[in-house]
Amino acid sequence: MERRNFLGFGAAAVAASMVPASLVAENFRETKPKMWQAATSAEAIKDMYGTTDGIEGKIKLKAPKLAENGGSIPINIKTSVDLESVAIFQDANPRSAVAAFTIPEGAIINYDLRMKMRKTSDVTVIGKGRDGKMYKTVQKVEVSIGGCGG
Amino acid sequence: MKLKAKMKKDVAKVKVMFKSPMAGPEEAEKKKIKPEFIAHIIGKVGGKTVYEVSTSGFISKNPLFKFQFKGAKKGDMLEMTVTDNNGKVTSESKKIK
Repeated sequence: MERRNFLGFGAAAVAASMVPASLVAENFRETKPKMWQAATSAEAIKDMYGTTDGIEGKIKLKAPKLAENGGSIPINIKTSVDLESVAIFQDANPRSAVAAFTIPEGAIINYDLRMKMRKTSDVTVIGKGRDGKMYKTVQKVEVSIGGCGG
Repeated sequence: MKLKAKMKKDVAKVKVMFKSPMAGPEEAEKKKIKPEFIAHIIGKVGGKTVYEVSTSGFISKNPLFKFQFKGAKKGDMLEMTVTDNNGKVTSESKKIK
């Protein structure tokens, strides 16, 4: 009986891996529910990608060094690396995940958004390339007035 | 939702602003409102996904997103669909200028 189960699992795994990467549009809300509950960046990144390592310096993260208003911090992510997904994490709020982008093939990665931070912390942008390598960038953002309604 | 899309050479530049309090459970409690935030945004041109992001309550209130993509032309319709944490779906289409 156990052997039968094992084979079934194998078949499912093969089927899943055969789906071409370009066709997978992932809604991370549905596929990775745990990552949205994680309290620290390290945990959330582990939940999403399984590793927290990455090649640094390839993703450009533009964020203010000192943010006067923690309720609206402009963030810009730019890279020429061909990524399949990229996500933003911070350690200032009760939960770490801010946003996770699924990148369609051939897209220009130049995303602007505004986020909230309660206090000073590191902002981590981590992405997975279509070549399977991980890329990440960390920047510290100082917040003088906390956002998040606080 | 406020949506603007403009072609610049062969690149479409999009600015989109959503109306949402973006309040997670903690913030909602403080403000005495129901938690309400955008959980998922998807942008499509002619059925092809050009932009997709899953978000949490830590994006700013009434958030503004900017992005660019290739492969569209003037007059194409850009359709943005937003799902919030309560499952409410809003969508809007706009011609790319």
